[in-house]
Amino acid sequence: MLRAGETACLANATGICPIRRRHVVLAALVSLCLVIASDLRAAEASFVLIVHVSTPERELDRAFVADAFLKKRTRWPDGQVVRPVDQRRDSAVRRHFTADVLKRSVEAVRNYWQQRIFSGRDVPPPEVEGDAGVIRYVQENPGAIGYVMAAPTAPGVRAVGLK
Amino acid sequence: MLGVVLGAPIAQAQEPAPARAEVAPAPEQQSQPAATPQTLPPDHVVHVAEGTPAPPASTAIPPTTPARHGFLEALVPEIHGFVSQGFLWSTDNNYLAHSERGTFEFTEVGINFTNQLTDRLRVGMQLFMRDLGPIGNYKPQFDWAYLDYRFFDWFGIRAGRTKIPFGLYNEVNDIDAARVPVLLPQSVYPTGNRDMLLAQTGGEVYGDIPLGPVGSVEYRAYGGTIYMDETDVATNIEVPFVVGGRVMWQTPLDGLRLGGTLQSVRMDFDTELDPATLAALVAAGVVPPDSDNFVHFQFPVTLWVASVEYAAHDLLLAAEYSQWDASLSADLPEIFAPYHVTNERFYVMASFRAASWFSPGAYYSYLAPDLADRSGVDGELHDVAVTARYDINDHWLVKLEGHYMHGTADLNPDLNDGVPAAALAPDWGLFLIKTTAYF
Repeated sequence: MLRAGETACLANATGICPIRRRHVVLAALVSLCLVIASDLRAAEASFVLIVHVSTPERELDRAFVADAFLKKRTRWPDGQVVRPVDQRRDSAVRRHFTADVLKRSVEAVRNYWQQRIFSGRDVPPPEVEGDAGVIRYVQENPGAIGYVMAAPTAPGVRAVGLK
Repeated sequence: MLGVVLGAPIAQAQEPAPARAEVAPAPEQQSQPAATPQTLPPDHVVHVAEGTPAPPASTAIPPTTPARHGFLEALVPEIHGFVSQGFLWSTDNNYLAHSERGTFEFTEVGINFTNQLTDRLRVGMQLFMRDLGPIGNYKPQFDWAYLDYRFFDWFGIRAGRTKIPFGLYNEVNDIDAARVPVLLPQSVYPTGNRDMLLAQTGGEVYGDIPLGPVGSVEYRAYGGTIYMDETDVATNIEVPFVVGGRVMWQTPLDGLRLGGTLQSVRMDFDTELDPATLAALVAAGVVPPDSDNFVHFQFPVTLWVASVEYAAHDLLLAAEYSQWDASLSADLPEIFAPYHVTNERFYVMASFRAASWFSPGAYYSYLAPDLADRSGVDGELHDVAVTARYDINDHWLVKLEGHYMHGTADLNPDLNDGVPAAALAPDWGLFLIKTTAYF
């Protein structure tokens, strides 16, 4: 026997009754919020900026970091050359850093560099393997800046804040 | 250029790293002696899975790419290149090439070498050749070749042959890997104008000025000349000057930039009169008997474009509006009356990276060769395009693109058996497939 709500369902072309449809929509919204919240949590906690120990800055403006990795800013305030270093394109930490700081996807940033490379403007920062590769690069290069998953304890590098 | 503007056919070295690496001291221990060395495999990598907890704070040091600071290392250039092959087919009308029968005359090859000689000095060059219908014919040429000295972020100088920063995408008009569509909107970025618009030989100043909370401004100003090959109609071509500039405001809204470009260029050239015409003109007293059989033309053009682009995460939205103002005058005005025309050109474009391997896009592009007279089928060209880019891997892509065209404003009669644009099919389709390998 059909009840009133189910009778209404029969007339609904979607095949989902109004009450159930609300539940589906609600569930979808909650899921979406959870996914976004999870992404945000992951993005917030997913990288640590590190610089060469000779760099005096303790906290960096996000726009400055973005410009440094896009090579629009090539000097630190004290005149030292900024040497950004990236992790591999398929690394999760790079995906988080790129989305959070550059506000683009890794692929969009790659597209940006294709434009720069083939118009003769510049070439992208070097790519190294993993956190340890970044730490080594930053250790060896005054002015270097990179990002890693965990706060490093290696000599010659220092974690900096992002504002 | 003339035809397009006037709407008339006138003319890191890898260094082996030790397998042994030291575990670094904790931050509070940094001033103390290093901890006891530990041995790690040479291919040790810190793997990071999305959403997983951070690994332990201490990280060993694997092989890496060292900075290129040494003199000899600095002499090793970065090398990049691409090879593209396309196919065009149109339902009616030949466009860019003999497309109506289907053609593979759509090839591009480029290779570039760049080197950062010092922190401020950079050199580079790109060799490029193409074949697109009557354009290029695989003739290699320097796309760009320059010295670049960057005094400050807000002021640098380039000298040599440099790309012309006209609008948002002129510099990458022939770089397939750097965009979603096969053809950029042809109203603002006409492929047939590549020689005239893509690069100039001279100098350029550029910079990026931070404006604090209101974003930043990127400027570029350039001046020089353009070297062009002679055509059947135009000989002794000289470009006494090309000057221009572009200002782009990177707004505080991430990914939104607004800008404008202004360029002025003058082309001088000669057209040869056939002997019968010259004799008739002498007989009519229009030209003196001792005159040569060349008519000297001056062709100044002023172009401007207003641009807006929003590029955030995987979305790209762009729109540009442009007008090109051109005049043509000859030293024989009795025969060649002065001519002046203003074009109107604009487009709106969107693309979205739906997946790392798939990016669809679409645009609408409009061209009116003569603002004062849009009448007739050749008075306008409406172009609606949909496109899909498939990135097979990091170095190889394939694109599919379809266009619905209404109008014949941009069609070349020479490619259409001499049939004037006004007599060509008004509604037609264009389909393209293109694949590009790049590194």
